[in-house]
Amino acid sequence: MRELSRRQAIIGLGAFTLVLAGCGEDEAPKKAAETSANKAGAMANYAAGQQFKATEPVSFDVLYNNHPFYPLKDDWLFWQELTKRTNVTLKPVAVPLSDYEKKRGLLVGSGQAPLIIPKTYHPQEEAFVASGAILPISDYVDLMPNFKDKVAKWQMEPDLDTLRVADGRYYLLPGLHEEVWVDYTLAVRTDILEKLNLEVPTTWEELYTVLKAMKQEYPDLYPMTDRWGVPTPGGNLLKLVAQAYGTKGGWEYQHATWDAAAGKFAYTGAMPQYKQMLEYLNKLVKEKLLDPESFTQQDEQAKQKFNSGKSFVISTNAQTLINDYRPTLSKLVPKAKIAKIPVPMGPIGDYKIGTRLENGVMISKKALENKNFVAMMQFVDWLWYSDAGEEFAKWGVEGTTFSKDASGNYKIADDVDFVGLNPDASKHLQKDFGFSNGVFAYGGTTKLLESTFSEEELEFQKVMNARKAWPLEPPHPFSDEEREQATLWETPLKDYVTQQTLKFILGERDLSEWDAYVKELEGKNMTSYMNLVNGAYERFKKDHG
Amino acid sequence: MDRSRGYRVFQVINAVILTGVVFVTLYPFVNIIARSFSEERYIVNGEVSVLPRGFNLTTYKIVVSDSMFWTNYANTVLYTVVATAIAMLLTTCYAYVLSKKHLKGRTFLIWVAVFTMIFSGGLIPNYVLVNSLGLTNSIWAIVLPNAISVFNLLVMKAFFEGLPQELEEAAAIDGLNTYGILWRVVLPLSKAVIATMVLFYAVSFWNSWFTAFLYLNEQDLFPVTIYLRNLIAGATGAESAGAAIADVSQAASNIQSVTIMLTVLPILAVYPFVQRYFVSGVMLGAVKG
Repeated sequence: MRELSRRQAIIGLGAFTLVLAGCGEDEAPKKAAETSANKAGAMANYAAGQQFKATEPVSFDVLYNNHPFYPLKDDWLFWQELTKRTNVTLKPVAVPLSDYEKKRGLLVGSGQAPLIIPKTYHPQEEAFVASGAILPISDYVDLMPNFKDKVAKWQMEPDLDTLRVADGRYYLLPGLHEEVWVDYTLAVRTDILEKLNLEVPTTWEELYTVLKAMKQEYPDLYPMTDRWGVPTPGGNLLKLVAQAYGTKGGWEYQHATWDAAAGKFAYTGAMPQYKQMLEYLNKLVKEKLLDPESFTQQDEQAKQKFNSGKSFVISTNAQTLINDYRPTLSKLVPKAKIAKIPVPMGPIGDYKIGTRLENGVMISKKALENKNFVAMMQFVDWLWYSDAGEEFAKWGVEGTTFSKDASGNYKIADDVDFVGLNPDASKHLQKDFGFSNGVFAYGGTTKLLESTFSEEELEFQKVMNARKAWPLEPPHPFSDEEREQATLWETPLKDYVTQQTLKFILGERDLSEWDAYVKELEGKNMTSYMNLVNGAYERFKKDHG
Repeated sequence: MDRSRGYRVFQVINAVILTGVVFVTLYPFVNIIARSFSEERYIVNGEVSVLPRGFNLTTYKIVVSDSMFWTNYANTVLYTVVATAIAMLLTTCYAYVLSKKHLKGRTFLIWVAVFTMIFSGGLIPNYVLVNSLGLTNSIWAIVLPNAISVFNLLVMKAFFEGLPQELEEAAAIDGLNTYGILWRVVLPLSKAVIATMVLFYAVSFWNSWFTAFLYLNEQDLFPVTIYLRNLIAGATGAESAGAAIADVSQAASNIQSVTIMLTVLPILAVYPFVQRYFVSGVMLGAVKG
C-alpha cells in the first residue's frame, strides 16, 4: 500500500509539471507597435523599384528549407552578392526538406524560430495564429512598397482576402504571380492521334471520343491510365475534371464551393456539378477507356504502363513530361511522340483555374523588438517582391550567370546549366551558385516566370493564358471555436466523399443512388457544416467587406 | 536416429515455409542491392528485381564524391561511438545499483526510470530544455538526452540480479570496494549482456535521426541518416513539386539505393560478431525476471 501511494505521488507530481509546462505566455497581441525604436539600418526614403541597401551592416536569421538536389553551400554567389547589394547577411538555419514542417512547428512553438520563416503554404500559417508567435503581417505592409505596388498593379486585393483569418488580418506574405499559372494537365501520345487521324482534344467530351477511337484500334489496352492517385485518389485527374464542371475534386477538394447564382456556398461533394463529373468518369471506366487502377496504383506502375506503350494518355506537368516520360518512352517505343495538351474544357467554358498566390513568408512576432525591424521588412520587400530582387534570386548576376538582350530576354551563361538549358555546362545555377532556389525565387511577372520555359511549354502557356481566370471565391474565415468544430465534421465528411466518389466512378455504386448518397452526407452533419461556412461568410462580409 | 515418416514430412514442409519466410525477408534488401547497381531506366520501369540490370558503378562514384555525404557519415560514426560509450557507462552504473535489493529507495529509483517510459514532457518542452542548457548544435544534444534507455536498463538489472550474491561477498571479504567488485568481478562475468547492450545502443544511435533533426541546425553536423532521409524525400515529393519551378529536379532513384547500401553496410557487418553473445545475453535477462 505504501508503495502504491508513493507511485501515485510521483505520477501526480509529473502530471502537475506537465500542466505547468503546457501554460505558455498568453500575451494579448499588441496592436501595430511603435516602429521608431526599430529603424536602425533602414532606409529613410525606400520606395518601389529602388535598390534596398541597409545603412549599416545587419544580419537576420532565416529558416532554410534544404533541398537535396541543391544542398546549402556557404560559398554560394547568392549569399555574397546579396550582402554586397543590400548590406544584409542572411544566416540560414538549415532544415532538411523532408521534415521542414515539423521543425518549423517546433521552432515557432518553442519561441526559437528565426525572424524570417519562408516556404509556408497557406493555410499552414493558421496553426500558428492562436499562439501569437507570428506577426499579423497585414498591419505592416506599409513598410513594403514593392509588395503594395504589385498588389495594386495586378489587382490582387481579392487574392489576399483569401488569406485573411477571422480578425480580418493575414499572417503570411504570399508569393505573387502576375497571372494564374497552369502547369498540370494531360500528356497524349500525338503519334497515335496522327495514326488514327484524330485532332488533339480540346474538351473532355472530345477526349472521350479520342479514347474511344483508340480503344477501337487497340481493344486490349486501356487508352488512359493515370498517376498521382496516391495518397489522394485521382489527385490530378479529379481536380481537372471537377474544375471543368465548376466544382472541386482531387488535390483541390474543399468542402465548400461558392455558388455564384445562389449567393452562398454549397457543399462540394453534393453539388450537381460534382455528380456530372462522376457521371463522366464513370462512363470512361465503364467503357474500359480509363484504367480502373488509376485511382489506386503507385506512380511507378502508371509510368511503366505509359512508357511501355500500353497506354496513351496520362497526367503530366512540364517537368514530368521531360523527366519521367520522354526519355524512357523514346527508348522503349522509338516512334512515340508525346505532348502536353491544353487542359481540356468542360461546361463552364474557356477558363483557367488556379491561384495567383504562391507559398510565402511568415515573420516572427519577436521581430518587432529587433532594432532592425524596419530594415528587415524593407529587405524582405526587396528580395521577394521587387523586380530587381526577383530577377536576382532567379537568374543571378548579369554577366556571370546570365545575360539579357535588348528586349529583355534572358539567356543563361554558356558555362552554366539549369533545367537542361545547357546540359554540357560544368556548373549548375542552383547547385553551384545558389540561384533559382525554391526558398527565395518564385512569383513575379509572367515574363520572368516563362523565361526558363522550353518552346513547347511556351506554346502550352500561350493557349492557357488566352483563357479567362476563374473568379475567386469570397473568404469565409472561421473563428477559433468554429474551426475546431469544423475540423470535427470535416474529417468524416471528407473520408465519406472520397470513398463514395471512388465507388461511383468505378461503378460499385450506381449513380441512381445519388439522392441516397446526399442524404447520407446530411447524416454526417453536411447541413450544419454549411451553415457554419455561410455564417462565417456573412459575418466576414459584414465586418470587413 | 530413426525418425517417423510424419516427422520427416513435417521437416520438409517446415523447411519450405521457412525458406519462403527467408526469401520474403531478404527480398527487399537484395532488391536494393540490385537497384544500386542498375541503370536508371530499368529501375523507373520496375524491371529490376533480384539481379542488377545494366550493371554500372556510376552512382556509387557520384555518391562517394559528394563531400557532404562523408561529412555526415563521419558524424554518424562519431555520434554512435561517443553516445554508446556514455550510454553504456551510465546504464551499467544505474543497473548495478538497482540490482542491489538491500539498497534503500530502490523502488523509488526504479520508478523514476519507468516513469520516463510512460510520460514525457513533450516535444516542445524537451526542445526548450535542451536549448536552455545550451546543448543545441552540438554533439551533446545527440548523446545526452538519450543516454539511458529504460528497457536496456531493466534487462541489465535483471541480468545483474541473476549473478550469485556469494561471488560478490567473497570479493568484498578479499578487500574489494564496490567499484572494484563491479569492475573486476561483475563486469567480466557480464560479457554477454554487455555485448548485447552495446549492439542495441549502437544500432539505435546509428539509425536515429529524429534527435539530430530536432537539435541540430547546421548540415555539417547532421548524421548520415538525415542526409539519406532528405535525399529520399527529394526524390519522391511529387505532389509538392508543382508549386515552385525551382524545386522540381529529382534525385535519381538508384542514388537512394546506393546511399542506403553504404549506410547499412557497417552496422550490418557488426552483427555476425556479436551474434553469439546476443541470444544468450537477451535470454539470460529474460529468464530471470
